[in-house]
Amino acid sequence: LNLWAPFSRRSAYCAASVASLTNILTPALFAGTAEWIARCQNWEGGIGGVPGMEAHGGYTFCGVAALVILKQEHLLNLRSLLHWVTGRQMRFEGGFQGRCNKLVDGCYSFWQAGLLPLLHRALHARGDPALSMAHWMFDQLALQEYILLCCQCPAGGLLDKPGKSRDFYHTCYCLSGLAIAQHFGSGDLHNEVVLGIPENCLQATHPVYNIAPEKVARAVMHFLQYPVPSLDPAS
Amino acid sequence: DEIGLIPCPEARYNRSPIVLVENKLGVESWCVKFLLPYVHNKLLLYRQRKQWLNKDELIDITCTLLLLNPDFTTAWNVRKELILSGTLNPLKDLHLGKLALTKFPKSPETWIHRRWVLQQLIQENSLPSLATKENLGAAPVERIHRLVQEEMKVCSEAAGRYPSNYNAWSHRIWVLQHLAKLTVKVLLDELSSTKYWVSTHVSDHSGFHYRQFLLNSLIHRTVTDNNILVQNQMVNEQNPSLQKEEESAGTEAAYAEEQTVDLPHCLDKEMELCSELIDNYPGHETLWCHSDESLSNSHHSPAMSHMAQAMDVDGLNESSSKQGYTQETKRLKRAPVQDSLGPEMEYRFVDKVLSTCRDVDQARFATAYRKWLVTFLGQ
Repeated sequence: LNLWAPFSRRSAYCAASVASLTNILTPALFAGTAEWIARCQNWEGGIGGVPGMEAHGGYTFCGVAALVILKQEHLLNLRSLLHWVTGRQMRFEGGFQGRCNKLVDGCYSFWQAGLLPLLHRALHARGDPALSMAHWMFDQLALQEYILLCCQCPAGGLLDKPGKSRDFYHTCYCLSGLAIAQHFGSGDLHNEVVLGIPENCLQATHPVYNIAPEKVARAVMHFLQYPVPSLDPAS
Repeated sequence: DEIGLIPCPEARYNRSPIVLVENKLGVESWCVKFLLPYVHNKLLLYRQRKQWLNKDELIDITCTLLLLNPDFTTAWNVRKELILSGTLNPLKDLHLGKLALTKFPKSPETWIHRRWVLQQLIQENSLPSLATKENLGAAPVERIHRLVQEEMKVCSEAAGRYPSNYNAWSHRIWVLQHLAKLTVKVLLDELSSTKYWVSTHVSDHSGFHYRQFLLNSLIHRTVTDNNILVQNQMVNEQNPSLQKEEESAGTEAAYAEEQTVDLPHCLDKEMELCSELIDNYPGHETLWCHSDESLSNSHHSPAMSHMAQAMDVDGLNESSSKQGYTQETKRLKRAPVQDSLGPEMEYRFVDKVLSTCRDVDQARFATAYRKWLVTFLGQ
């Protein structure tokens, strides 16, 4: 049971994403999951692979996003999480690091920066008056600078940092991070912050599922038409 | 005891690409592109039931594969089957894994398989009637202890081969939790044995984080032991006629005191270590983070309050448990905070750093730490 623990946070997030989009999310399916994720929040404020382990960007995003889907984000200490993730934006590079004292990496543009919309929403739900209504709590322009200036491969595609080669994973998450950095909020509260020419602006991405918000809406609407499947073989 | 790839793009001489020097195994790089697909294919054919391989061949092939690419889960799984059928000695896999980690210190699959093997070994161990092949004749406890020590060594080496090796430190924590059961002795041993390592790897956040884990586990251990102590005392109050319980409570009190005495000393030593390293190696964020957390632990440690309470236990003579609880909470609030890590000492340290350092990052960290001290200790 514990052999794969560090990697299960990702599975929990995948499972929660799929279940919520396809309307098969039942309390029984994720019984105990939320508490187990929350146990991995450590003294740094982030979430580690196993309880007691170092806080790590990838696991933190998966954990928090899963909790948001399960509507249990209050199980976390949101303030210390906020403190940890904002400390991960590098003051010189503008991009994010995955853990304290490590190097910047383009993919954390999504895993780390992507936490801020989630935190914003959670803190807003608590009625925190100090929350901005125009910006996320990280330097959006600095992140965009890092991605656009340092993470592009001249032959196309994006990468970790200058000197590394391009790959699909980094292309995906650099672009996702760029989208997060360019768009605050949605609907009436939507505020675009675009570095450089207007053509740099990407479509917004959904901060929990990382697909286009309209697609999330359409998926949910579609599957709501079907009843939640029951485990009873007779039905 | 170590494997590696020898950069050698062409086969210059007509000889074997395997090189063995002083117990270290090298493979010339030119042969990998022939060897790997060959063994890989052979294993897949076996798995697809298209070609039979006997046990020895399987062991050889998987061994070769895993030394070239230890993240090949299927190969590890074949070996799991061999272990379960009794054909392969699990200790061999620990050795194979250790070898693979010399070249691939992060390999997730290697660490995962390692945990599986260790679990198999613990299960074997808990059945004393089974005469295992490699029964070293030692008592089960001794065997576990040796396993734990070996794992600490493997983790330490892997951590040294790759900075902030998350998987290695994760595994180390897992071993302590599941094999060593987080006893006070093992926690203290680990604190002293990793002290040198972290001093020579000052930017390794994972290493310092491990020390935090050890300290936190010690605190929890102390609290649990004290809770047991307190509970026994409360039971005692209600049943004063039971002589035996009083005696055991007495020994537990002595035992708990013995352990709790170490705790403030440990945290003291940790702060000392931090200060020393910060002085010697200016500009490492990890050290300041560790300092923050250690100081925070020492002030907010529930163990401190419980300790004061445990020593003050005769005051707990309320007849109703409800009243006893209120008394307990009042006592917790009035508990003296450990004074040995006085805030003045920290201020003096920070001011000294600020006035003498020339490193920009060091100055920034020191200023931030000072601000944190003011907010935190000002409560």
